[in-house]
Amino acid sequence: MNPEANTAGEVSAVEVSHLTKVFSLGLKREYVVAVDNLSFHVKAGEVYGLIGPNGSGKSTTMKVVLGLMAPSKGSAKVFGLDSGDIRARNEIGFLPENPYFYKHLSGAETLRFYGKLCGMKGRDLERRVDELLKLVDLEGAATRRLGGYSKGMLQRIGLAQALVQNPRLVILDEPTAGVDPIGSRQIRDLIMRLRDEGYTVFLCSHLLEQVQEVCDRVGILFRGRMRREGALEELISVDSQTSITLEGASPELLGKIRELVQRDEGTSLVAEGHPRTSLEHLFVRIAERGEDPQP
Amino acid sequence: MSDEAPPPNPEPDRATPAPAPGARPVPLFSFGRVATIASGTVTQLVRMKTFYFLLAFAAVVVAAGNFNLPATPAKELSMIKKVSFGTMDIFAWLFAIVATALLIPRDQEDRTLYTILSKPVRRIEYLLGKLGGVLVVVGVSLLAMYAICAVMIGAREALFVAAEVEAMTADGRYSDAEIAEQVGLIRQQGLRAELGIAVLASFFKAAVVAAVTIFLSTFASSSLFTIIVSILVFLIGHAHSMATSFWLHETNNSVFVQMLVKLIKILIPDFQLFSFSEGIVQGEPVVYALVWQMGAVTGAYLLVFLLLSLLVFVDKEF
Ligand SMILES: Nc1ncnc2c1ncn2[C@@H]1O[C@H](COP(=O)(O)OP(=O)(O)OP(=O)(O)O)[C@@H](O)[C@H]1O
Ligand SMILES: [Mg+2]
Repeated sequence: MNPEANTAGEVSAVEVSHLTKVFSLGLKREYVVAVDNLSFHVKAGEVYGLIGPNGSGKSTTMKVVLGLMAPSKGSAKVFGLDSGDIRARNEIGFLPENPYFYKHLSGAETLRFYGKLCGMKGRDLERRVDELLKLVDLEGAATRRLGGYSKGMLQRIGLAQALVQNPRLVILDEPTAGVDPIGSRQIRDLIMRLRDEGYTVFLCSHLLEQVQEVCDRVGILFRGRMRREGALEELISVDSQTSITLEGASPELLGKIRELVQRDEGTSLVAEGHPRTSLEHLFVRIAERGEDPQP
Repeated sequence: MSDEAPPPNPEPDRATPAPAPGARPVPLFSFGRVATIASGTVTQLVRMKTFYFLLAFAAVVVAAGNFNLPATPAKELSMIKKVSFGTMDIFAWLFAIVATALLIPRDQEDRTLYTILSKPVRRIEYLLGKLGGVLVVVGVSLLAMYAICAVMIGAREALFVAAEVEAMTADGRYSDAEIAEQVGLIRQQGLRAELGIAVLASFFKAAVVAAVTIFLSTFASSSLFTIIVSILVFLIGHAHSMATSFWLHETNNSVFVQMLVKLIKILIPDFQLFSFSEGIVQGEPVVYALVWQMGAVTGAYLLVFLLLSLLVFVDKEF
């Protein structure tokens, strides 16, 4: 069943190669290149984060992976199956950005609806619905209609809906958009839990701190192109620079260090201050200059 | 999902079983998925409180039933039937158009469509489910409306028959055979099983309009546009033979116009096919050949419009 297995015998959960997606706007000869020759893969069992500013093509990429859109060029595969293959979709749980479900259904009815669409029924389905409501902490709201759910609750029922058929891959488009810090912490914990249980998670976000907390690898997308990709640790360390973090250093000591640096020929003091989220730093630089910040 | 029992869970605390390796088989086409979408649609329409229109219908029927006309009982019954079956027909097709036109664009706007189509659901299953759901609601509504009519017509019929028999007997000049003849005339316009055929015709008509509306809503960007165009198609469909004979037999028409008319002739269903039911409502005998023809043509139109819808919908991007 793994036609695309690589040499290690393991098939990537997501394999996007040379993906280009062009939208034509209206009848005029105007085009938007939403995704431009994008290649990356998500390994089975990892949490992969696609980050990038608004309009950089994150949602478009996900929709192509899901088969909701056809690629203009290139291809996307899920566990070796062409995206758009109905079997591939059975392996994917998807949470769209700002999800809306049928407002007239209750939380439990929503999960039942999506479960049935995946061919589940009877006691298996009921058990799964109960499990998921517990997982996302919505047992108390199971019989309430979604019309009365808060944003955070909708996001959580959306996550439960994505997991209903127990897919191997979970695709989350901005899972914490519009959710308060406590709610987004809950969602983050859920994602970590999914990873621990062996799911593959492919998410996108522009909330960098969260990506930094949960992702094993990240790709930075800007104007439809992959600007940087790699393990989080590699990405946010700058090889040519070294930072020393001191605690309780006296002003005299700092003065001496500055003096030493000044005396050295090839060294210059780039920054001094308190450590900060460097991923955010990288992101802002890419977005501001529209280019790779590496020298 | 697989039918095998899940392996014993080593960690009872785990909220979800570990994902199974390997792609699980998915049936090529599943009536279960169609039924799920259809019943979801029915729930949606019911919870949107659309059935309240039945109250309006009941009001029309009651009003028609209590109209006191200076006419024979048979004429009066015929009038009641004309008004109530006419209203029933209008309600059925109008409801079919509006409900269908609202459903798919709404799913798309609400992005519910993303979540549905990202499950292992085929697009034809989605379309069939939506159409099926609307038709179930239309069918149930028609049955309910028919029941309301039947109660009203039955009651009036009984009343008229009793009054006629009483009046003729009191007069004393009429033989039993003459009385039976008069009663027969009233019964002819009363509650008869054939009226069910008229209800069926309304249902088939609504089904065809719903399929046309589904087709339009796969590419139209607004519900309003879909509703207006569907109603136009419906109205033009009633002047079908008139329109086509007028244009097709004009000799000075260009080839282009001829082609256009032929295309329109295919794309606009001939709703005159269903009009024989008006005769049935007026107590004329049922020509079963016409009923079969109606069934076959309805099936053909449903197939054509579903295929056209699928043609647009299958490659549609969301
Ligand atoms: N259906 C569409 N038709 C035309 N243009 C589109 C369509 N969908 C997306 N685009 C364009 O493609 C580009 C990428 O959009 P996309 O939604 O993928 O961005 P994103 O990274 O998800 O942004 P955000 O963070 O705001 O969600 C944008 O310029 C957008 O205008
Ligand atoms: Mg997006």
